[in-house]
Amino acid sequence: MKGSLTKYLQWFIGASAIVMVAWALIDSDSRAHFLTGSGLASGALIAAISLGVVITYRGSGVVNFANSAIAMYIAYVYAVLRKDGDLFLPPLPNPFALVEGIVHKLDSTSTLDLPDWPTRISFGPDMQFWPALLISVVFALLLGLVLHFFIFRPLRQAPPLAKVVASIGLCLYLPAVIVRRFGIQPFTVQSIPYFKVDRPVSLPLGVKINADELVLTILVIVLTVALYAVFQLTRFGLATRAASENEKGAVVLGFSPEFLAGANWIISTLITGVLGIFAATVLRTIDPNVIPALIIPALTAALVGSFTSFGWTTFAAMVLGMQFGLVKYFEAQHHWYPKSGTSIFPGMERVLPLVIIVLVLFLRGKSLPTRGAISSGRLPFSPTPPRWAIRYGGPALALATAICGLFIFGPTFRLALANTLIGIIICLSIVVITGYIGQISLAQMAFAGISAFLVAKLTTQHNVPFPIPIFIGAVVAMLVGVLVALPALRVRGVNLAIVTLAFAVAVDKAVFGNQSVNGGFVGAPVKVPQLISQPRDVQYKILGIIAGDGKQPNPMTAMFCLVVVVILCYAVANLRRSATGRRMLATRSNERAAAAAGVNVSGMKILAFAVSAFIAGVGGAVSAYRFGGVTPDKFNYVQSLTFFAFAYLGGIASVYGSISGGFLVAGGLVFTFLSEKLGVPSEFTLILGGLGLVVASVRNPEGIAGAVRQIGMNVRRKRGSREGPPEGVAAGAGPSPSTDTREVGAAS
Amino acid sequence: MTALLQTSGMSVTFGGLKAVNEVDFRVEKGKLVGLIGPNGAGKTTFIDGITGFVPTTGRIEFNGRDIGSMPPHRRAKLGLGRTWQSLELFDDLSIRENLQVAAEKQSVGSFFADLVAPRRKRDDSATDWALDVLGIADLATKMPNEISQGQRKLVSAARALAARPELVCMDEPAAGLDSTESQVLGARLRDIIDAGSTIFLVDHDMGLVLNVCDYIYVIEFGLKIAEGTPAEIKRDARVIEAYLGQSADEGNH
Repeated sequence: MKGSLTKYLQWFIGASAIVMVAWALIDSDSRAHFLTGSGLASGALIAAISLGVVITYRGSGVVNFANSAIAMYIAYVYAVLRKDGDLFLPPLPNPFALVEGIVHKLDSTSTLDLPDWPTRISFGPDMQFWPALLISVVFALLLGLVLHFFIFRPLRQAPPLAKVVASIGLCLYLPAVIVRRFGIQPFTVQSIPYFKVDRPVSLPLGVKINADELVLTILVIVLTVALYAVFQLTRFGLATRAASENEKGAVVLGFSPEFLAGANWIISTLITGVLGIFAATVLRTIDPNVIPALIIPALTAALVGSFTSFGWTTFAAMVLGMQFGLVKYFEAQHHWYPKSGTSIFPGMERVLPLVIIVLVLFLRGKSLPTRGAISSGRLPFSPTPPRWAIRYGGPALALATAICGLFIFGPTFRLALANTLIGIIICLSIVVITGYIGQISLAQMAFAGISAFLVAKLTTQHNVPFPIPIFIGAVVAMLVGVLVALPALRVRGVNLAIVTLAFAVAVDKAVFGNQSVNGGFVGAPVKVPQLISQPRDVQYKILGIIAGDGKQPNPMTAMFCLVVVVILCYAVANLRRSATGRRMLATRSNERAAAAAGVNVSGMKILAFAVSAFIAGVGGAVSAYRFGGVTPDKFNYVQSLTFFAFAYLGGIASVYGSISGGFLVAGGLVFTFLSEKLGVPSEFTLILGGLGLVVASVRNPEGIAGAVRQIGMNVRRKRGSREGPPEGVAAGAGPSPSTDTREVGAAS
Repeated sequence: MTALLQTSGMSVTFGGLKAVNEVDFRVEKGKLVGLIGPNGAGKTTFIDGITGFVPTTGRIEFNGRDIGSMPPHRRAKLGLGRTWQSLELFDDLSIRENLQVAAEKQSVGSFFADLVAPRRKRDDSATDWALDVLGIADLATKMPNEISQGQRKLVSAARALAARPELVCMDEPAAGLDSTESQVLGARLRDIIDAGSTIFLVDHDMGLVLNVCDYIYVIEFGLKIAEGTPAEIKRDARVIEAYLGQSADEGNH
């Protein structure tokens, strides 16, 4: 009964979607802005990305968050070949660069220039269409092979988290390489010589589109039909479909699941690449910001097609691409369009995918068909914080940090210290939600941003005194977190990652992009109390010693961050040591066994989301006070992904891991050290972060914290074998030595 | 005697198939009640229905309360524990922590106290008792993947007992044990009954069920075909025809 109601609702919503699309096509005013050449081109680009997502999901069970970045990367390969005749290479590790950096540091006048890897392979001045396309296609093929053999095949048995993490790593790495090579400005793509762009083709209903736009649309439709035919009619397609239900089925048909996964990766990158190249030539320009963001509508389209139907996926992708123009037209023309103050309400076109995702997931519940693969993988081990760390390690670290911040660091490193401390807060919020209860949230910076903008409003417009805005901001972030947690009760794993990512994008565009929130060009200032930051340069005397060098930033800013970090670190560590933490870990391990043990699984998930969003909210508020102002770029979806990356790299299941993660964040101590002392440019933050994430997901899912723990245990075991079994204090000081068999298993 | 657990007309339907069909059933306090039936008879589904893991129709009363529409964790909190045939231990937690999850009662305020003082006034008596009664106190600090399958079975039972349930439903606890181990298990189950618990035992080790249970139900294809004391079950013509045959005599030796 319940099932059939859901079915009716599905039909109803599907039908109303079709009616809305039909109306947009019939109404001539709307049609002129819906059925446009550029709309079709963006639809085709989204379709390219989402078809690739569907193919890799069917072939290997991986939801590839990086497919838009792959489309962008291959389009760049093509565009650069056409323009310069060069094949550009990603930055390769060069030990000489470090030597150069150190020499420059010691002797600024020397001009030591050691050899570096080439940045490009040149094929001549510029390249014709066909050879450029051919080389790009070969590149796409090789990329597919690399992705399969080096990243996703080793992760075949890994839990969904590791696969999501690997694809997020790629999603950060590929655009970072483009930014390093070509900067963030748009790159012009030369058009295909066979099409005359100045003479549009007239279609029925008064639609005029360019020939290349028409060809692209036809190409998308032809490829969709071809994919449908291949998957329905060939043995290969049948085996892939069988494997996506149950991998044994493919074996019966004479295909190894490994072969199917690899072949589908290649098909995916080829289709994504070729369609991406054509779409780029139609759109004329590409850049490393806009195209990666198309992963949200692409995932939405793939969800509409249940990650199986190519037809529905392409249809949804085209509609999602074409609605951009329609929304812009409504924004400009219609008085009924929602307004905020005097300006229009922004970002509706980004809210639509979120609405569709939530509707689809709520109605279907479990919308990704689960694979019948034997998964022995597990989430990173979450150790109970040992007593010595709580009693001595934590206070010692806090004291050392305070001494560094007050007396030792200069202005640059004081700034980096504050960034690291804020990074630790965000990483802690990820530890609670992903490390403790196993839910993937890619919206942590959206929660932080909600709190930060609220702090800006409260301090400037309502004069709420410090520190009350921190609590208000964090509580509001927490309430929003609970709201986002509601889908988490029905979906988990990758589905939740998709919902939260769509939420992050929607909040960024619709809330943080709203002028009444972000203060337009002036930004949203925060009134900072004198306790944290003096407007003048002052020196403090602490116990008769002068603190700081009298320069900005004020050392007290970092001390304020430190106090908050210490409180939160203890709270999160205590959580793991407590009954609540055990219940969260039990939920993460096995939901139905947890329920049988009396754990309210839904309640625990909501609680974890609430705690996590609260901590992220505190992080946002602290960041607002630290910078004295709030700008949307610090809280967009890329930031959410980046912090997730560093939290995972540090170690996603422990407080120690968050501290390691905080050191790694952009502008934090590690990268400030690299850029200040060794001359590594700051673009390398994301290149190294993204690459590190991919490597970590494959090689070392326990993160830095896990690696250090492993080394510690090996040392203790060696010493133990010499001096006899460790007893008493030694055994109580850390996780018991016997736990390392499991960790070796998890790391191999 | 008052019934601790009583079902009347309980059914579980999967698609068009009635996996459990209109079963009336009762467990009295302090008794060891068994459920037997051939493979696919609906035994595990019956436990899933009682403990709330599959939707049921009909009435399920526990301690006089209708629990038929309660979610699993609320039934567990009322004192209805269970084990799983596939054990389902929490792989991320040590054996002691596995038991603590079930043993610890939690209130709304305790979350905030946990943030400040996570190890205040720990009452581990239930956990220690459960570890002792199954003889696995020496495993407490180990992780689930460091112990043998037989030990994992004991941990699974201990976890259910650590919640001090009024009734434990045990799903195939003897599966995979040899006859000596099975006898040891039977003795342990009697110890637990003597300590004041009630057990509902599902197994297809006939010897175990006939030897230790006070009262036995037999189901086949989701239908109850017999109930009675072990002696009555051994004599029941329908049971012998449907299921027992030789094995009843073997189990009796």
